[in-house]
Amino acid sequence: MIVGIVATASFFTMIEAPPLFKAKKKKELWLFSILLLIGTGLCISVSLDIVIPNPLDLVYVVFKPMSRLLDNLLK
Amino acid sequence: MANNVKISLRQFTVLIMFYTIGTTILVIPAPLAADAGQHAWIAAIVGWLLGLLVVVLYVSLGKLFPQMTFIAYIEHTFGKWLGKPISLFFIFFSFVTSSIVLYYIGNFMTTQIMPETPIGAFVILFAGIVLMGLRLGLEVLARTAEILFPWFLLLFTTLTLFLIPEIEIQKIRPIIEIGFKPVIRAALVFAGTASLPMVVFLMIYPMSLNEKKGAGKAFYTGTLIGGIFIIIITFLSVSILGAELSAKNMYPSYALSKKINVGNFIQRVEILMAGLWFLTIFFKATFYAYGFISGIAQVFGCKDYRPFVIPCGMIMIAFSLVVYPDVVYMSDFESTVYIPFVISAGLLLPLFVLITGLIRKRMMNNQGVESDDE
Repeated sequence: MIVGIVATASFFTMIEAPPLFKAKKKKELWLFSILLLIGTGLCISVSLDIVIPNPLDLVYVVFKPMSRLLDNLLK
Repeated sequence: MANNVKISLRQFTVLIMFYTIGTTILVIPAPLAADAGQHAWIAAIVGWLLGLLVVVLYVSLGKLFPQMTFIAYIEHTFGKWLGKPISLFFIFFSFVTSSIVLYYIGNFMTTQIMPETPIGAFVILFAGIVLMGLRLGLEVLARTAEILFPWFLLLFTTLTLFLIPEIEIQKIRPIIEIGFKPVIRAALVFAGTASLPMVVFLMIYPMSLNEKKGAGKAFYTGTLIGGIFIIIITFLSVSILGAELSAKNMYPSYALSKKINVGNFIQRVEILMAGLWFLTIFFKATFYAYGFISGIAQVFGCKDYRPFVIPCGMIMIAFSLVVYPDVVYMSDFESTVYIPFVISAGLLLPLFVLITGLIRKRMMNNQGVESDDE
């Protein structure tokens, strides 16, 4: 599983990175590597059943009051 | 960034239409029927009209900033430092929703069609197509939409015609005892699923269209036609399954198409419905992902979003397996927090940008050019 993920990641690096490298787009290259690192890390932790934070919990915290307000208005 | 991308108005209309229909067509009858009972179809019409109001907002934003993407005009109106966090909120919204849509596909397949396959398989396959489409660019997506449109129309018409004999009109009675508040609530759910997410189209509208004139009209037409399909499905669902059964089903329109029975011969064609759904949800997932990926690229000042498609796609896949731990969480999220979330991303945020933009424009006109310092 992990091998597959890492293989996929390195395969796409081989496709995407050389043109960026040739064009000397440093910023793009940095962003690409960081995003790829995050992506690979997340995929591996999901495949190992490691709990990763759920963005929807954040949405819950922020929007719960507004949702209650809406409920009271429309009930 | 996408300056050389040109989409024709007809392609844009079809894209908007598919986007309105995607996910909405399969899930919306349930919450509508839960809130508004047998008046679900009336609520759908109200929601459709609300959606048009939302489009008015988007079109006027497009008029104010004809040559920029949404991220660019957020930064233009609020300046660099205030603009970035606001853009990040927009990116967060499209990221979360794109993960959710991927989860939908996986959940639908595992609960309804292939129960023994793990959800990850569907998510990865579907995300693969979405990322491929994004990698090839907007023009390819637009042309795909144009080609798929007749197929969609054919499938939908077949489905509707086969379902007409099953309609039992007493199921939508009594029409007269209609509550105002439940209908408004249901209409909000409708607008939240069908119209408000169209905020991601501000990333391409009207900059990537080949004709600026008539772009607004294309936006309206797409929303109108898409809404009509949803209203038809909601009406069929309530009048065939009844309000209660529609509300209890997770995918009422799928259950609906199981009812098709023409002369005991044409039966069990529900996979047609699923086909309709795959076509439309592809565009929904793609444009959410487009909002996310091109948003990230622009916030960091990169010209082209394409190198980041694959890494962002991996993040999306990982999170789509995490966003909804179970279906209870999903239905709770959908019926409570999702509505204010989508309202603030799809209505308040553009409204805020529009008002600030108008004020700045007026100030600049009054004080002349020299005050143009950012």
